[in-house]
Amino acid sequence: MATPAEWASLCEKFRSAVNLSYVESKKDPETEPYRSKYSARELLEGIKQQLGSEEAEGSPGGVGGGAAGADERERQRAVALAAVEYELGVNHTDTQEYSAGEEHLVKCAQLLEPHRLSRECVSLYIQAQNNLGILWSERDNIKTAQTYLESAEALYNQYMKENGNPPLDSSEHFMDEEEKLTDQERSKRFEKVYTHTLYYLAQVYQHLEMIEKAAQYCHTTLKRQLEYSGYYPVEWALNAATLSQYYLTKQCFMESRHCLAAASVIFGQAGQVPSAEDNETEQDQQDLRQRRAEIARCWIKYCLNLLQGARKLLEDNIGELDPDRQSELKAQQKKEEDEKEEDRKKAVLFGTSDLCDSILAMEEKVSCVFPLDFKEAREVFLVGQNYVNEAKDFFQVDGYVTDHIEILQDHSALFKVLAFFEEDYERRCKMHKRRIDMLEPIYAGLNPQYYLLLSRQLQFELADTYYEMMDLKVAIGNKLEELDSHTIKKINSLAQMAMKYYELFLDSLRSPDKIFPETLEEDVLRPAMVAKFHIARLYGKLITSDGKKQLENMQTSLEYYSFLVDYCEKHTDAVQAIETELELSREMVGLLPTRMERLRAKLSTFT
Amino acid sequence: MAPGSKGDTALAASSAEGDAIKVFVRVRPLEEGTVLADNGLCLSVLSSNTIRLNSKPEPKIFTFDHVADVDTTQESVFSSVAKKIVESCMNGYNGTIFAYGQTGSGKTFTMMGPPDSDNFTHNLRGVIPRSFEYLFFLIEREKEKAGAEKSFLCKCSFIEIYNEQLFDLLDSASAGLFLREHITKGVFVVGAVEQVLTSAAEAYKVLTTGWRNRRVASTSMNRESSRSHAVFTITVESMEKTNDVMNIRSSLLNLVDLAGSERQKDTHTEGVRLKEAGNINRSLSCLGQVITALVDVGNGKQRHICYRDSRLTFLLRDSLGGNAKTCIIANINPGSRCFGETLSTLNFAQRAKLIKNKAVINEDTQGNVK
Repeated sequence: MATPAEWASLCEKFRSAVNLSYVESKKDPETEPYRSKYSARELLEGIKQQLGSEEAEGSPGGVGGGAAGADERERQRAVALAAVEYELGVNHTDTQEYSAGEEHLVKCAQLLEPHRLSRECVSLYIQAQNNLGILWSERDNIKTAQTYLESAEALYNQYMKENGNPPLDSSEHFMDEEEKLTDQERSKRFEKVYTHTLYYLAQVYQHLEMIEKAAQYCHTTLKRQLEYSGYYPVEWALNAATLSQYYLTKQCFMESRHCLAAASVIFGQAGQVPSAEDNETEQDQQDLRQRRAEIARCWIKYCLNLLQGARKLLEDNIGELDPDRQSELKAQQKKEEDEKEEDRKKAVLFGTSDLCDSILAMEEKVSCVFPLDFKEAREVFLVGQNYVNEAKDFFQVDGYVTDHIEILQDHSALFKVLAFFEEDYERRCKMHKRRIDMLEPIYAGLNPQYYLLLSRQLQFELADTYYEMMDLKVAIGNKLEELDSHTIKKINSLAQMAMKYYELFLDSLRSPDKIFPETLEEDVLRPAMVAKFHIARLYGKLITSDGKKQLENMQTSLEYYSFLVDYCEKHTDAVQAIETELELSREMVGLLPTRMERLRAKLSTFT
Repeated sequence: MAPGSKGDTALAASSAEGDAIKVFVRVRPLEEGTVLADNGLCLSVLSSNTIRLNSKPEPKIFTFDHVADVDTTQESVFSSVAKKIVESCMNGYNGTIFAYGQTGSGKTFTMMGPPDSDNFTHNLRGVIPRSFEYLFFLIEREKEKAGAEKSFLCKCSFIEIYNEQLFDLLDSASAGLFLREHITKGVFVVGAVEQVLTSAAEAYKVLTTGWRNRRVASTSMNRESSRSHAVFTITVESMEKTNDVMNIRSSLLNLVDLAGSERQKDTHTEGVRLKEAGNINRSLSCLGQVITALVDVGNGKQRHICYRDSRLTFLLRDSLGGNAKTCIIANINPGSRCFGETLSTLNFAQRAKLIKNKAVINEDTQGNVK
C-alpha cells in the first residue's frame, strides 16, 4: 500500500474531486457548464494512475504480513480503484459521454463482483448498478436499464438477508479511520441508495407501461421516505394524495383512503416544523394553504367515487335504486367485512407506531366500503361536503375561476349521487334545486370567450338538472288523481329551462356566423346529440290544453328527432355513439306524423 | 339549418373549423462558414407541406400545415402564419403564435428579426413587428369604415417566465408576479404593466425596451435568455355604439418566444414541461411527476391531480386546447449535427397538430331514456 503521506494526498484529491463534482459544478457558468466536472475528472484520473502504478510495483512498501495480508491489501486496492471508477463513470454520464461512462461503471462493477456481498462493497456496487440503469435509460433502452436496476434490488435483498450489518458508504473508501461514519449514518445512507433504486425502478416500470408495478414502487418509495425520515412534509403529503388518485381510478378505496389519511396527517407536520429562517413570508403561507386545499380536493374525489361506485352497483336498467340488489349486497358486505381487508392492509401501511395510529384515526372518519343506503351515503356525502367547503375557502372565484368552478361541479355531483339514494321525490327534487342554485349564478358571470369548456359543461349540467327535476315532477304528478295547475306550470317551466340550457349549449357549437357545424367534432358529438334528443322529448312533455300549441310542439319535437336520424344517415360513424337515442328517434319519427294527423283531425271536428 | 336554431344568441365561441393547432415548420439556412461534410444536411424539403428527415436506416417523412425551406422570406412567413391570426383577433378571437425549437434554430430571428437592430423598418423584421403593423393597419381601416361609432383600445404587456417565475419585462424593478384568473377576463398576470398603444411605432418601442430588459437580465443574473420564455401580449378592445347600446369586444394576441427545446444540460433541473422530460429523473423530489403520470392514465374516473400546470401552460391555457386560434412555428436547423434535436422538434410539432379544442362535456349517460 502507499505510504501514509501518499495515501493522505490521494484522499485529499478524492475529496476535492467529489466536492468539484457535486458542489462546485452547480455554480459553473452557462458557457462552461461542465468546467468543474472536467477538473474533477482530471483529479480522478490522477488517483487512478497512482493506484494503478502501485500494482505494477507489486506494492513493495507493504509490511511483510504473509499471503493473507497481501490478499487483503489487494482487495482494498481494488475497492478503492472501483470507487474511483465509479466516480469517473458518473462524471462521464453527467457530461453526456455515455460510452466512456459505461466503460467506467462496468469496470467498477467488475472490480467489485467477487466482493459485492461484503460490507465494504455492497453499497458502491448497488450505486454502480443504479447509474448503469440511468445510463441505459438515457440511451432509450429501458429494458437494459430494468435489468441493472432489478439486479441492484436483488442484491440489496440478498445482503439484508445474509448479512444485514450497516455497510460502508461509497464515500468512505478514501477516508481515514477517524473520519469514518457511524453505523447509524451508514445505515441511513445505504437505505437511501436503495430507495433510489426503487424510485428509478418506479420510473422504468412507468416507461414500460407496467402501471401497477410502477404505482407499487412509488408507494414503497413514499413509505421508505417516511421510515428513514428523508422527506419534506408538504411534498410528501402531495405525493401521497396524488397516489390516492391513482388508486381511485383502480377502485381501490382502502388504499386510496390510506394515502389520503397519511397525506392529511403528514401535512399537519408541515405547520409545526419551524422553517429555516422562521419568518415565513406571506407567499409561503399562501402556498401552504393552497396545498391543503389541494389535498381536500383529493378527498372530495374520494367521496364522489365511492358514492358513484355504489350507485353503479345498485342501479337498475333505468337508473333507479334496485331494492333486491340492495339487500343482496348488504348481506354480502356483512359476510366479507374485515375478512380480506386486514391482509391487504398490512402491505400498504405507512409509518410506524404513533404516526400509524394518527393515520388510522384519520381513516376512521370515512368509510372505504360502498354505502348501500341513504344513511350510509349521507355520511360519505357530508365528509365530501366538508372538504368542498375547505377547498372553496382557498380556491375562491376571484383569482381561481377554473378551480372554483371545478369544486362547485364536484359539489353538484355529490348532491346528484346522493339524490339517487333518496326515496322521497320531493326531497330529491330539492337536492337538484341546490345544484341549480350553486351553478346558475356562476354560469351567468362566466365569459365563454375564456372559459368555453367550463361554460359548455355548466350549460349541459344545468340543462340535465332541470330535465331531471321535470321528470321527478312528472312522476309526482302521476301519483295525483288529477294534475293541478300549479304542478303543470312547474313542469312546463322546468322543461323550458332545460330546453334553454340545451339550446345554449348547442349554440356554443356554432361558427361565428352562427352556422351549426355540418359535421360535429368527435368530443362534442354525443353531448350535442343527447341535447337534441332531450329537447325533442321535452317538446313532447310540454303540457298544454291548446290543441294548436300542442300540434306545434309535436312538430318541433319531430324536427329534433329527425335531426338525429338525418345526421346519422349522413354520418354513419356517429351511429354507435348514440345507438339507443337513435333507435327511439327513428321510432318517434315513424309515430309522430300519425299522431299529429289524428290530432289535426280531432281539432278540425271541433272547429 | 338545424331545427330550433335561433341564431340570435351571440356566443363568442369558436367554430369547429380551425380549432386544431396549425403547425408550420421553418428550416433556417446553415450558418455561414459551416463546412459541409458529406453534404452536411440531415433533411430535405419535399413540398410545401412535407419534409424528409434522413434518419437511419429508414428516412422519415413528416407532414405539416406548411413547410418553409431555407430561402423563405420573413414576409412570406408572416403572411402564411400570422396574417389570419391577426385578422381573427380583430373579429374577437384570441390568438397565439409560438416559436418552438432548439437554441440557434432561428426562433428569435423568426419572431423578432436579426439581433441588435432597434428599428423595425428593414426587410428582415420578424413576425412580431409585422403583426403590429398589420394590426394597426386593420384598426385604421375599421375606423375609417365605421367612423365615430367605433373605437379601439390596445394595451400590451411583456412577460418573461424563467424557472417557473414570472418577471415583467416592462418594469425591470418588479419581481415575483402571480397568475390569477378572472371570471370575465380570463387568466391574467397580477401587477403586470399594461401599456396603451396607439400605433405600430409605439409597439416597437415597448418591444425594444422589453427585449433589452430580457437581455440585460440574462447577463447580470447569470440567466440565459434561451432558458426563459418571453410572452408579448396585446389586448385589442373594440367599442361599438349602436342606438345607445355599447358593444364591447376584446381579444388577446399572444406572441411567444419559447425557451430552447434542447435537452437541459443539467439533468437535475426541471426541463420545459412542453417537452417530455428525460427518461429517468434522478431527483427524488420529482416523485410526484411519476405518480402524476400514473394517474393520467386514468379511465375517465373522477380524480384530482395536485400538481398544477407549469406557469407557461397556465398563462396560455386558452391557446393549448382552449378557445383560441393557435399556430406553432417549429424552427429547425438542417445541419447534420443537429439531427437529434431536429427529430425531437419535429416529433413535438407532430404531436402539437393533434391538440384540439377539447370541449369534453361531463355528459351522464345514465337515466336518459325512460
